[in-house]
Amino acid sequence: MTTLQSGLRRSVATLGKPRKATYVVLAIFVLGSLFPFYWSFLVASRDNGMLTERIPPFVPGGNFFANASRVFDTVPFWKALANSVIVSGTVTLTTVLFSSLAGFAFAKLRFRGRNKLFVFIVVTLAVPTQLGIIPLFIAMSELGWTGSLTAVIVPNLVTAFGVFWMRQYTLDALPYELIEAARVDGCSMIRIFWNICLPAVRPAAAILAMFTFMMSWNDFLWPLVVLDAGNPTVQVALEKLQSGYYVDYSLVLAGTTLATIPILIVFVLLGRQIVAGIMQGAVKG
Amino acid sequence: MRALIPVNKVVGHVRTIRNGLVLALGITMTALGASACSGGGEQQPPAAANPNEHVDLTLATFTEFGYEALIPEYERLHPNIKITHRKTGQGGPYHEELVTKLAAGSGLADVTALEEGHLSDFMDKGSKFNDLSKIGPADASPDRWLSWKYDAAKTKDGKLIGYGTDIGPLAMCYRKDMFKAAGLPDDPEAVKPLFATWDSYFAAGADFVKKSNGKAWFDSASQNFNAMVNQLPEGYIGSDDKLAVENNQGIKDAWAKVTDAVTKGESAKLTAFSNEWNTGFKQGAFATKVCPAWMLGVIKEQAGPENAGKWAVTAAFPGGGGNWGGSYLTVPTQSKHPKEAAELAAWLTAPEQQIKAFQAKGTFPSQVKALSDPALLSYTNDYFGDTKVGALFAEQAKKVQKPQYKGPGDGQIQENASSPALQAVEQGKSAADGWNQMVEAAKKITR
Amino acid sequence: MTVLDKVAPEGSKAGERTSPRPTFRHRLSRWDVKVSPYLYIAPFFILFGIVGLFPLLYTAYVSLFKWEAGSDDPDFIGLDNFKELFADAQFWKALTNTVSIFLLSSVPQLIIAVLLAALLGARLRGATGWRVGILLPYAASLVAIGIIFANLFGPKYGLINGVLQTIGLDPVDWQANRFGSHVAIAIMVNWRWTGYNALIVLAAMQAIPKELHEAALIDGAGTWRRFWNVTLPLLRPTLIFITITSTIGGLQIFTEPKLFDAMPGSNNGGSTNQFQTVTLYLYQTAFQNADLGYASAIAWVLFLIIVLIALANFFITSRIASAPAVKVKKK
Repeated sequence: MTTLQSGLRRSVATLGKPRKATYVVLAIFVLGSLFPFYWSFLVASRDNGMLTERIPPFVPGGNFFANASRVFDTVPFWKALANSVIVSGTVTLTTVLFSSLAGFAFAKLRFRGRNKLFVFIVVTLAVPTQLGIIPLFIAMSELGWTGSLTAVIVPNLVTAFGVFWMRQYTLDALPYELIEAARVDGCSMIRIFWNICLPAVRPAAAILAMFTFMMSWNDFLWPLVVLDAGNPTVQVALEKLQSGYYVDYSLVLAGTTLATIPILIVFVLLGRQIVAGIMQGAVKG
Repeated sequence: MRALIPVNKVVGHVRTIRNGLVLALGITMTALGASACSGGGEQQPPAAANPNEHVDLTLATFTEFGYEALIPEYERLHPNIKITHRKTGQGGPYHEELVTKLAAGSGLADVTALEEGHLSDFMDKGSKFNDLSKIGPADASPDRWLSWKYDAAKTKDGKLIGYGTDIGPLAMCYRKDMFKAAGLPDDPEAVKPLFATWDSYFAAGADFVKKSNGKAWFDSASQNFNAMVNQLPEGYIGSDDKLAVENNQGIKDAWAKVTDAVTKGESAKLTAFSNEWNTGFKQGAFATKVCPAWMLGVIKEQAGPENAGKWAVTAAFPGGGGNWGGSYLTVPTQSKHPKEAAELAAWLTAPEQQIKAFQAKGTFPSQVKALSDPALLSYTNDYFGDTKVGALFAEQAKKVQKPQYKGPGDGQIQENASSPALQAVEQGKSAADGWNQMVEAAKKITR
Repeated sequence: MTVLDKVAPEGSKAGERTSPRPTFRHRLSRWDVKVSPYLYIAPFFILFGIVGLFPLLYTAYVSLFKWEAGSDDPDFIGLDNFKELFADAQFWKALTNTVSIFLLSSVPQLIIAVLLAALLGARLRGATGWRVGILLPYAASLVAIGIIFANLFGPKYGLINGVLQTIGLDPVDWQANRFGSHVAIAIMVNWRWTGYNALIVLAAMQAIPKELHEAALIDGAGTWRRFWNVTLPLLRPTLIFITITSTIGGLQIFTEPKLFDAMPGSNNGGSTNQFQTVTLYLYQTAFQNADLGYASAIAWVLFLIIVLIALANFFITSRIASAPAVKVKKK
């Protein structure tokens, strides 16, 4: 083997190995991402006055648990957490399921009007949602769902983004040959979807699940209008923490910190899924 | 032909996915089923003819009204009534939600609170609210309240759409230590002449700026301007419901005085209730503050314990007196139990209950009897140097003249036309340009 | 069982069968193929009908009236709302603000997202941590973001101005200065969304077969050339995807400008509407001014503008990174 060949071989072998600079740059980004969270925690662990200091302290104080327990006293936070888990969990499951279904159809099945219908879906992304609040509220009133979680779940059962995203991924990730082989074996469409398509798009589905869960968890405007104080989701409960003529920021930020913990749990659960899935995709030829 | 992917591996994955999906579907069904059954819907039984028949009432308020202990008390007195209290944290989202529910034709609570600043937006929608003078109990007579408070909730055709809850009588708060350091008198009696008129107020301000080497006199121009405009006989909108700001000499004069003070450096240029405004209290950025009764709690919280005793309040206000803030309880026509709702509203706004609310959350009563209640008169605030603030504000409340007519859009002009325009002037715009900005915005709001 | 005569493209007629089979099952299978696609896309369209289409049509209808919330008798005024809108200086100001904030946020965001994804694609130690770490901002509660960023960007007492002053620069009035406010809001938006887009690009990057990179490397291509000629062209569909979604999202920015205003709860977008976006203007018109007819007109005009710009963006992005320099061997 010549030196050139072994040199190239080494280059290929080290393909993808990160340089030190990579870690530095990434560290800067992650620090920037984390800083506001740390800042919130700082305020939550001290008191309201911290935000008005000329030079704010950078070390946490000892008040976090005191403030956190005040959060539970002021609003029905456990109920809000439970409600948010129900709403976000349901919405995530249905969105992933229906988006994968529709994405599969648009990506791999041929049917009349396919392209036009898909363009229509993309166009719906452009519709500003704020004005929809009033007609949607009217619809929810007619159906008698105002005040219940159904009103928050149903409008979010599937999203255009989800369909767009799953179609995108399915196009690349699911070769026609697989589908045809399955058809040849006598599989029905739905079995092809469940047994072949879903496993192939798992990383994208995991990513979509994470995005959808987080978006639903932080959804604020619509739940504020349609739910009431007795049956809030987490973000609605946080709004109520800002009651009064002055806002107790340490209380509010203690609330937001508590509200972020469940998402972090979801991160941990789904995060490995995504990474594993992404790496699987890299091996695939 | 070799299979492209080993089928058994796929099937293995599938089993876990399939189990997961079945579980998921189960959860979805259960969640939808459970949530459809739980939670309060707006289904209410038809109006009860029998007074002992069970009635469900909803009450909607924002910020803190102090009703937490009163609700169970009312329920004890009326065992057939169950009250659900809906609280929204901030007034902004609360009133935006009100607009939504008004437009949708449903969703409003039986007793819906309404803030004074937003009253003007709903006065021309009087048909959406019940006339409380007709359906309310007999003891909720006009003389129960301060007349200016009561009259402000009457529409043009004499309909009373709300019972007054609390008020915000204006006094002047100031920093004793900063006054002393600048050589000004700091005793509450001695400062009264400084605050007699707006001219004397701004003159004292110019003096203060010089003597304190550039410290600001007040926090925000719009805080003073709003108070000044409210004292005028006519406001932004004339009694014909048309925009009158361009011909209103009183408003023009007020604008000139305030912007002049800004150029003299008297303003700390902070936006009221913003983050930096809070910091301004702590940092001692300004020496005086337009102080409605509810502002005391804000000052105490924002200035913090290290400034205890430095802030003082005096029973004087430039131009005599004024009011900022306060709310009403209304009964929208959407309510299915208007009579019971009106009774609840009347009870909550009775002097005895309002005193209890005051003791709970500091909301200052608007009821005449409450203003002479010993609990109120003896109430002191130790942060403000043990001043008898209850008596002080009761005195200020009596100084308020007849209410200015607030046409539709008045509150919005204050919030979205004059306040931003003054903010712009503080940020560098000329007084003339700022005036034009305000007029343009006001025209837009009332178009 | 022979496979060859069964291998037929979907939707075409099956050929003659050599072995006997019940025709019912055969027809069922064909029916399955024909109808399934429509069934699979049905959930989206049914839901959209209620949640998307109804509000859309309702809004279009309302835009032809002068309708104040709560009024029972709106006047039909045809296209007057639209005529007024085109002469409305505040609308054009909001539109300029929107485009400015959009460009300031989307362009750096996409570039950084792609670069971040490239970095994250490496075989990092603790890869999960890094990859999930950049998505963390998306988890932040909007309430918290509003408080924190208003605090950081405070003109008088904010930390950022404090830092600027320490290093000898002039403080910026992030609220009053029009461009400054756009930059601050763009930073808020980018903080929240860059990680999100980076993850999407990362997923697509990982789908590129390693053999292509190795082949390019053996052909003598350096890191940059590989990136430009191998990675980017193959990323094209994903880049188009995130360009379209960022464009649509960027032109609809609402929460950040609303939270940034010093006056809490204000919908003004600053003392002179210097950072009011069109969506915020829409919201103010509908829920503060209670002028639903005019607000509906704004919504529809915004919708059309977004569609136009998204289309334009689509064509532009299709041109960039078009022809791959390395032939992609399909296996």
